[in-house]
Amino acid sequence: MSRSEETGVMESRTFVLRHKLPIARVEKYWKGLEEGKIYGTQCKACGAKFSPPQADCSYCYSSDMEWVEISGEGVIECFTQLYSFPQGFEFAGKPYVIAVASFGDFRIMGWFVSEKEGEVSLPQVGMKVKAETGQDETGVWKVYFRSVE
Amino acid sequence: MGMGSETRVGIIGVGCTKFGVRDDATIQEIAFEAVREALQDAGVTREDIQLSVVGTAGTRSYELMPAVPINEYCGFAGKGPIRVEAACATGSAAVYTAYTSIRAGIADLAVAIGFEKMNEVDTPTSLAVGGRSGSYLWEFHQYGTTFPGYYAMLAAAHMARYGTTDKQMAMVAVKNHRNAAKNPKAQFRKEITLEKAVGSRYVAYPLRLFDCSPISDGAAAAVLASEEKIKELGIDNVVWIEGVGYSSDTANMPKRADYAGLKASVEASQMAYRMAGIDDPLKQIDVAALHDCFTIAEIMAYEDLGFCRKGEGGKFIEEGESDFGGKLPVNTFGGLKAKGHPLGATGVAMIYEIVKQLREEAGDLQAELKNYKGLTHNIGGTGHFGWVYILGV
Repeated sequence: MSRSEETGVMESRTFVLRHKLPIARVEKYWKGLEEGKIYGTQCKACGAKFSPPQADCSYCYSSDMEWVEISGEGVIECFTQLYSFPQGFEFAGKPYVIAVASFGDFRIMGWFVSEKEGEVSLPQVGMKVKAETGQDETGVWKVYFRSVE
Repeated sequence: MGMGSETRVGIIGVGCTKFGVRDDATIQEIAFEAVREALQDAGVTREDIQLSVVGTAGTRSYELMPAVPINEYCGFAGKGPIRVEAACATGSAAVYTAYTSIRAGIADLAVAIGFEKMNEVDTPTSLAVGGRSGSYLWEFHQYGTTFPGYYAMLAAAHMARYGTTDKQMAMVAVKNHRNAAKNPKAQFRKEITLEKAVGSRYVAYPLRLFDCSPISDGAAAAVLASEEKIKELGIDNVVWIEGVGYSSDTANMPKRADYAGLKASVEASQMAYRMAGIDDPLKQIDVAALHDCFTIAEIMAYEDLGFCRKGEGGKFIEEGESDFGGKLPVNTFGGLKAKGHPLGATGVAMIYEIVKQLREEAGDLQAELKNYKGLTHNIGGTGHFGWVYILGV
């Protein structure tokens, strides 16, 4: 709790926020990632599709949903490469690429990775990709895109 | 009072602090600076205020429930407060809360205060807060999104579809820095060259350092009153709220239908235009404050608000149409890009700048007025919230 006469500020007490994330109703999505599968949900009552998945339909208010696997070839809709890392992603070590790709009626977010291990390359809007799942260095499961061109 | 929907609402006073790194003041002190200026500008005292609305995006400040501390410090205990949050569009939502209270006949004199102190935490923490502006579980948690990253994705889509260039984006930064150099309240009071902007390092490809607004501290305040109260007070220096529109979009980026524009901008502007009777913004509006948190955002806003056709935003800046002497001067005060972007303050600060313009008090930055109408366009998140005001005298 140092006080600096030079800067005219002092430090607050440390305040740690760590949250519980309730995933019981979308557990299949997280389990799917561990099995190399990516799931969205579809409303059995009105047919609306959701990615990321949700347990309730925002359109017809039904909670009768079914799981749909998202697979095949996707198309990059937009992307960025981050050079400034947020707290919690220091582990990345080098600029990482986030993209959104469409797979039919579903769109998903993922990290775009190069074919060659350790190499960073950029996708292009319209590039065809396949989606894989994997864990990052902190153990969080996510989607990775690779070019199929 | 009690005029209901017939009540016109006017802005009778505005205040805005210097934007920048404001380690010299607490949130209470910085809000007080803006409120004092607004009350003096309106010629009213704190006792005249019936309702205070306090807007902040929040989380970055050590004060997590700041409305009451600010209300106490400004001497408004008992007059509200209502705390409002709409990410970077918080200020516009705060003004709307004051506006609707007056339209409803519940209050006849209200103050909207917007503030943010983003520099109380370090940059990685600030990025981790901004990166949570979408849907945490599906975006930040898995992919480490940042706020520049979100807009960078839109920029990539816009560039791919319409051929918008690095250089056109940099031109927005050059214009807004040139204007901010003349604004005593601005965070960056220096001009930059096109070469410097296009040569700066990437923050989030394709956005470079000079495509991004800074991390800012600041506050702004606006005093609103009913037409009846304005007459009673004998105030004739009034800027009227002639139109207001709002909209929003999905939290999750994968749930958006398109990435080369903001649906919330289109819908909010159409709602405000309808209310204010605007069918040709270029002809009817004299000066506009557009949400340029990133240079691509100003380019998309030209299109989404109908200043040019979709895809021609790059050409609009290139041809000088948004500069002084162009078809519609935009961000004459330096924009968020160079005046600064203290999130909760921004929407109120845009109102401050347009009120100054419409009262012809903008000094070296005064735009030419024909219809005495101005516009503010304020986006929260990556098009998560959209707000547009049409002001007139």
